[in-house]
Amino acid sequence: MNASELQPIEQFLQTHAPFDVLSTALIARCAREMTIGYYAKASAFVEFDPVNPKLYLVRSGAFEVRDPQGVLVDRVAEGECFGFSTLLSGEKVVNKVAILEDGLVYHIPQALFTDLRSQNRQFDTFFTRAFAQRLRNEHKFKAKDLTTTSRITNLMSQTPISIEANASVQQAAKLMRDHRVSSVLVLHDQQLVGILTDRDLRNRVLAEGLDGQASVDKVMTKQPQTVASNALVFEAMLLMSEHNIHHLPVVDNQQAKGMITSTDILRSQSSQPLLLIGEIDRQASIERLIHVSKQIPVLLQNLISADARAEEIGRVLTSVTDALTRRLIVLNQQLLGKAPMAFCWLAFGSQGRQDQVACSDQDNGLLLAHEPDEFAAAYFDKLTHAVCKGLDQCGYIYCPGDIMAQNPQWRLSLQQWQQKFKKWVMSPEPKALMHASIFFDMRAVFGPQTLFDELQDSVMSHTKDNDIFLAGMAGNSLQQTPPLGFFRKFVLERDGSEVKGMDLKHKGSALINDIARVYALSAGIKEVNTAKRIRALMDANIINRKDALNLADAHEFIAHMRLANQGYQANHNLVVSNYLKPQDLSSLLRHQLRDAFKVVHDAQSGLKLKFTRSF
Amino acid sequence: MVNHLWLKSRFWLDSLSKQQGSHERHLIEYQQSLTQQFTRTIYDADLMAIDLEMTGLDPMKDQIISIGLVPISKGTIPLVKAQHLMISIDGSVGQSATVHGIVDHQLQDALPVDAAMEWLLKATQGHILVAHHAPMDMAFIQQSLQNVFGQRLLLPFIDTLMIEKSRYLRQHGQLVEGCVRLGQSRERYHLPVYAGHNALIDAIACAELFLAQVSALGGSTQIKCHELVGLSK
Amino acid sequence: MDVQTLTYLIVGATFALYIGIAIWSRAGSTKEFYVAGGGVHPVVNGMATAADWMSAASFISLAGIVSFVGYDGSVYLMGWTGGYVLLALCMAPYLRKFGKFTVPDFIGDRYYSQTARTVAVICAIFICFTYIAGQMRGVGVVFSRFLEVEVDTGVYIGMAVVFFYAVLGGMKGITYTQVAQYCVLIFAFMVPAIFISVMMTGHILPQVGFGAELVDAAGNGTGVYLLDKLDGLSAELGFSQYTEGSKAMVDVFFITGALMFGTAGLPHVIVRFFTVPRVKDARLSAGWALVFIAIMYTTIPALAAFSRVNMIETINGPDSTGVAYETAPEWIKNWEKTGLIAWDDKNNDGKISYANGDSNEMTIDRDIMVLATPEIASLPAWVIALVAAGGLAAALSTSAGLLLVISTSVSHDLLKKNFMPDISDKKELMYARIAAALGIVMAGYFGINPPGFVAAVVAIAFGLAAASLFPAIIMGIFSKTINKEGAISGMLVGLLFTAGYIVYFKFVNVGANTPDNWLFGISPEGIGMMGMFVNFIVAFAVSKVTGAVPQDVVDMVESIRFPQGAGEAQDH
Repeated sequence: MNASELQPIEQFLQTHAPFDVLSTALIARCAREMTIGYYAKASAFVEFDPVNPKLYLVRSGAFEVRDPQGVLVDRVAEGECFGFSTLLSGEKVVNKVAILEDGLVYHIPQALFTDLRSQNRQFDTFFTRAFAQRLRNEHKFKAKDLTTTSRITNLMSQTPISIEANASVQQAAKLMRDHRVSSVLVLHDQQLVGILTDRDLRNRVLAEGLDGQASVDKVMTKQPQTVASNALVFEAMLLMSEHNIHHLPVVDNQQAKGMITSTDILRSQSSQPLLLIGEIDRQASIERLIHVSKQIPVLLQNLISADARAEEIGRVLTSVTDALTRRLIVLNQQLLGKAPMAFCWLAFGSQGRQDQVACSDQDNGLLLAHEPDEFAAAYFDKLTHAVCKGLDQCGYIYCPGDIMAQNPQWRLSLQQWQQKFKKWVMSPEPKALMHASIFFDMRAVFGPQTLFDELQDSVMSHTKDNDIFLAGMAGNSLQQTPPLGFFRKFVLERDGSEVKGMDLKHKGSALINDIARVYALSAGIKEVNTAKRIRALMDANIINRKDALNLADAHEFIAHMRLANQGYQANHNLVVSNYLKPQDLSSLLRHQLRDAFKVVHDAQSGLKLKFTRSF
Repeated sequence: MVNHLWLKSRFWLDSLSKQQGSHERHLIEYQQSLTQQFTRTIYDADLMAIDLEMTGLDPMKDQIISIGLVPISKGTIPLVKAQHLMISIDGSVGQSATVHGIVDHQLQDALPVDAAMEWLLKATQGHILVAHHAPMDMAFIQQSLQNVFGQRLLLPFIDTLMIEKSRYLRQHGQLVEGCVRLGQSRERYHLPVYAGHNALIDAIACAELFLAQVSALGGSTQIKCHELVGLSK
Repeated sequence: MDVQTLTYLIVGATFALYIGIAIWSRAGSTKEFYVAGGGVHPVVNGMATAADWMSAASFISLAGIVSFVGYDGSVYLMGWTGGYVLLALCMAPYLRKFGKFTVPDFIGDRYYSQTARTVAVICAIFICFTYIAGQMRGVGVVFSRFLEVEVDTGVYIGMAVVFFYAVLGGMKGITYTQVAQYCVLIFAFMVPAIFISVMMTGHILPQVGFGAELVDAAGNGTGVYLLDKLDGLSAELGFSQYTEGSKAMVDVFFITGALMFGTAGLPHVIVRFFTVPRVKDARLSAGWALVFIAIMYTTIPALAAFSRVNMIETINGPDSTGVAYETAPEWIKNWEKTGLIAWDDKNNDGKISYANGDSNEMTIDRDIMVLATPEIASLPAWVIALVAAGGLAAALSTSAGLLLVISTSVSHDLLKKNFMPDISDKKELMYARIAAALGIVMAGYFGINPPGFVAAVVAIAFGLAAASLFPAIIMGIFSKTINKEGAISGMLVGLLFTAGYIVYFKFVNVGANTPDNWLFGISPEGIGMMGMFVNFIVAFAVSKVTGAVPQDVVDMVESIRFPQGAGEAQDH
């Protein structure tokens, strides 16, 4: 039997990391030596053979790895592996692998696995890394570096400009002019045979004295370097620098899919957060700032397509907002002159929590060192109006609830702010609690930290151990529950007859923010970022470690789903919203989402028990 | 049921052993090796998924072009034991190439049919055959055996199509056009779609389907072979 | 329709109402309601507080006690009402400023001691248990009559119903369920009272009828006042005069005190003052609650007197010689099945008769009085059914609140804070549920083997509260010198003294339970107040000899009592 007869299986290996780095011969051998197993959900757990440990590569279905304590270690879906920890450590299997969905699994015997590792360094690194990751007990949604994980698909020109090989150079030049591109793909029988670039026209046509009637295939670059659409941007960059070229045709299965140029890559990198923040800091006029801010949506899209952690996306976008705010304050101060007293620019709500996403509105306020006189009041009035207007023009629309520094109600001295917070704490009426959920997530974006600390310390001294206020907060946050009905079915919201889906923000992320806030205020923890709050609460032994990890996971997962959904909506010209329709998800994601909501539900029950003394 | 199957094969053996020749001895051994399988569970039994590519659908007129074999043991499919054989034929593959994708020049180093049948008997000895739409494959094998040895065998087989048919009928009440084809059946168990199409891949596909069916029926340790086996004469 | 069918219907309908409200409020419509209306209205909250407050003891037993012992029974009325005022005016506002949701949390923080908190938690749990036991007995009486089973079986059924309601049903703690329960119970209490008042005195208001002259069947005045008639009847049958007390003044004083201070230390009612966002609203709802409680409490003496007259007249007949057992009123036969009424024909004349002393042939459990009143007065069947629903409403609302206190105290204050700091949310919840279930079982046990009548059992709970929690709270608010050692030893000594006294006279040496043997003539029901004094003295003495209170706690106490600027902030 020759190798290609197992082609569908080999193909599967070829397209899934880390097997994709193996040579054809090794892949063929691997396919040959595997056994296929079928795992039915009915049998609940994968049975391991203690004598012959294997690597399990999931072909279809879904699995969950849990440690002996039942804590979720990893979720494994199509194309992913489990069982490597035992193979690498040589220790006996302790984790349990639950079968979430019936599936086919390829078994790779230990001898083969060891051999493959010794034959291919990258293959080896992949698993040792994955193993190290497990050991560090990291959350399952791994942080990924943007440059290295963003894929070609997101950057390449979607409609390739191409020309037949027998066309004339002049026709090609005309085509390039009309489409304002610097290169075309040259096809013959639908197959890519070469590319023609500006440089070719210069070096091989003009310099050689050929006329416009010369046929393209005479002057093109034959058999150009190509890249697959699912390759990493990083790889494309590597290819370009290795071969000193600026154009790479994107080819899948011998079909030309598009073109990626060094300019595309450069452009994508300019919406990298650090570059963007640097650019913001360099702008000398408000008009220029507004212009630069146009890149923020691109940045968000890039981050989403790079599959970055939702928490990181929030932090990155918020740091851009912070930079923009600071720059607006500095520029406006250059116009208005030096401030008559120390002040802090406060960010509330999502900016405070550092989890801003698309279409955020502004929630901010001003903290003044002391009561302003008439002159100072006028100065800050002008300053705040200018900054809020600038933010609005940069895409952070005015707050519908008027929680903005330009509103004199939220432009207060330290003492006034302290009074305000104390009032909310002492009489937790519904409106005060609503305010609390926004204002207690506060952060100083600009101004002396000591001034801000003074405010925060006094706020914390009121909230810490104030059970009545906390009961009110908890009760308020329990008004919304995750969209799970009986038998853990999703509950969908409707607008008339139209199904809107599940509100991942108000019935997901916001609930976890609320839970973390109540706990943080009760313990006097000053962090405002939800993930950091949960971590701090875990470290302080206020939330049980398992509960905390679960909650952090759920928070990340729900936020991730929301972002991915919004990315999808934006890419498909749909209205960007917080609503997700579960039928759009794979059954594994549905399952995970259900689990995440269950975690929220349990955490709410815990909150209810601890703070409102009921269940 | 057990006794019934066992008895049938005994009778067959007796009738075979009356004729003494080297071919016959072969066939007797083959037949004997099968009788002990019936009472085993699917998990413990030796099973072999098989798929044939033919030049057409009529066993009398058409010929086998290739055979794919893969064993099923202990609820898994060891690919290392998978085998694929081409058979040289009289004349051209003709129109059937559009189905199986085998063109004449690929059959150049194929075995002649008599060697192929010997190979098949050796490869499958002691295994109950598993095939999708098995009666068709069995008919071709029987015809080839008849042509080569002048003798048919009593072949026990498991038909994944029949299993699927009764399961589908139980669930839906009536069959839909194409619903129990290999592809459609696999889809119901969320098994992957295989782009390639040859006797071996189809045999593997059939083996996977069988594993899925068995676990849906209650698991490989719960079902005994004779509950699923049919006989071909 | 017969009484039983009607009872099923009406009790079923009220339960459907509670469940309906629970579902409605869960569906999220309350969120909009809260935001739109700016919180729960004080009147509504007042009703909910009143429902928490009025337990099965108030509903079922109080009128029974007053009915049987006359004037002496009024100590309960006075003690409980006084305690409520004390709680609402003197304690709730201060505790609120302290920001503590539960009494043990206050004590734990004020006395800067986990031990103090734990002692307070144990006191609270102990008190709640005793209190629920009283509720269980009440529910058992209701079920036993209307399902025509023994009272013990009634308690078992009651346990199941309360368990379902409080642990599984998710219906407790919802303000509007409590409001519905108040409406049901007050309606159920007032309807028979008004009926009988009109029948006997021609006055619609029972409170007026109480002091009015009786009328005959035709509605003409007879010139005899109700209370005079009752005094006459009592004298005739050998009882002391209805309007005169038999208890010593000191005992009455101490019982009233124990009830009053115990009330103020009860953990489950105080929470109601904290669920209102503004101090002003809290005061208003406390006031409204007092009005709603007063509606019932002022009716109790009237109802007690009416039913006493009716009872004696129906048993002893128009000529006061008793009626033949065969022709005895229906209600006696009905209640005999529950075992709560027994007839012992001592003189073998085949007639039932009721009197004080040896000639008495009827043993009547006081707890049946309110439930039996409509039957005694031959009111329509639906009124009888309504009273059953009212009794259940009273028992459910109170026991649900108490069970929450017990279960969350056990799971959170005891387990999480003392023994398993790393417990997961799910486990904590599970332990809370188990604690609630255990609470019901233990309460059921004491409901079946009662050390006394419902109101008396409850009185013991109050006595314990008065001797342990109340002094710790009061000293915590008003004294800067009591330290943790003082508070802890005070609570422990107070609790042990009181519990020991009660156990001795009620369980160990029941025969000695006479005024002659009592300490200073104080009955076990009243010893709680004595325990309170003991607590105060021990706390002061111990604090004197041990270290001073830390400065930050002193500052804290000072800020509670003299809040600077808080008044301005709170009244917005």
